[in-house]
Amino acid sequence: MAQHAQYEEELERYVICPRCNTLHQKIPLPPGKRAVCKYCGTILYRYDPRYLDRALSLAITGLILFVVANLFPLIQIDLLGNEQHMNILEVISQLLESGYYIVAIGVMFMVLIIPAMVIADYIALIVLMRLRKGEALTRDLLVLLSHLIPWSMVDIFAVSILVALVKLTGEVRIHFGVSFWALLLYVGIDLYLTKARRIGTLWELRNRIYHG
Amino acid sequence: MAEKHPEKLTVIRCPICEAVNVDYGGSIRCHRCDSRIYREPRYGLGRTWALLITAMIFYLPANLYPVLQVKNIFGGHTSNTIIGGIILLWDQGSYPVALIILVASVFVPVLKFVLLLYLLISVRYPVSESKALRHKLYYLTEIIGPWSMVDVFVVSILTGLVKFDRFKVLAGSGATAFVLMVFFTMLAALSFDPRLIREYPRKRSPKKEKDV
Repeated sequence: MAQHAQYEEELERYVICPRCNTLHQKIPLPPGKRAVCKYCGTILYRYDPRYLDRALSLAITGLILFVVANLFPLIQIDLLGNEQHMNILEVISQLLESGYYIVAIGVMFMVLIIPAMVIADYIALIVLMRLRKGEALTRDLLVLLSHLIPWSMVDIFAVSILVALVKLTGEVRIHFGVSFWALLLYVGIDLYLTKARRIGTLWELRNRIYHG
Repeated sequence: MAEKHPEKLTVIRCPICEAVNVDYGGSIRCHRCDSRIYREPRYGLGRTWALLITAMIFYLPANLYPVLQVKNIFGGHTSNTIIGGIILLWDQGSYPVALIILVASVFVPVLKFVLLLYLLISVRYPVSESKALRHKLYYLTEIIGPWSMVDVFVVSILTGLVKFDRFKVLAGSGATAFVLMVFFTMLAALSFDPRLIREYPRKRSPKKEKDV
């Protein structure tokens, strides 16, 4: 679409509301402020000059928390002296052992592989942007991130743990492992990085970094 | 008002990077992230129908077959469908959890089917005048989608946790159907081309529409 290149710069001055699909002209914002849709109030974009630094430290913290969450038991239960514990890996292996391969693959991708890819992608992206290197690579990483985010479901898994525990109350004694708290903190960071901030914000930061 | 570029060009939001793009019709690539934004809209419609019907077919075994089995040492064996599990929780007095599972596993998938069917039908037939409403409904289907995984995760967690010698929890064949249903519903929602909301149904008379 080279013949239409003259519009590109102009198009960067506009934004379309993700919820009601209305077109808005961007206005410059003071740091820390956000622009909302005139019609439905959805947040359109923010101006956050320190975002890269904060996102990098949060993403690295998230990575450490995610590793911790997978190293130790999330929950331990105790029935008349018999103890059992579980974490994400044990859930997957138990599902495979009992022959529920499709459920196991679903859990493995949605709760383990894709979340790990999201956080690795995020860290690589921000490091590259901080170093002002790899413009083409950051584009591919951002596109990949958009495809991955809808399939990352650790937040729903964390809620499911609580629901599962309610089903068990009264029958067993329940102990929360250190991994459980790590997982909850990880979910908070994941929600902030991938849901609370729109992916368009990262694209705009990228434009500002590589094209002045 | 919306979707009209100042130079009277139609613009469209890239679903991957959220950039504003000029819609030249047919197949276009995003000027910012180079993702293919849309294919020929008609084919996209058939794909969404196919994925949605697949998901709806999986909804039946997901609800009719047990998602959870409990086995104990004496050879006792009970199994629960999703609805059965909800009734059990309700009888035990866990009303909030029963409601969470009822909403997440029964209402959310049905709501998603109905919303997608409504969008697909409104593309072909003039059932809805309001395009803004349909854009909001589409946004809603994207947000609520993954929450139907709660019950599958709960069953997986119980499988991973409750594996005593005396009694153990196993997944059921309904869980497999449920994972596949969520998978295909998400693909159907992601494959729906919101450009169809604007383009179809084709206007018969050049009547001026307020909310375009």
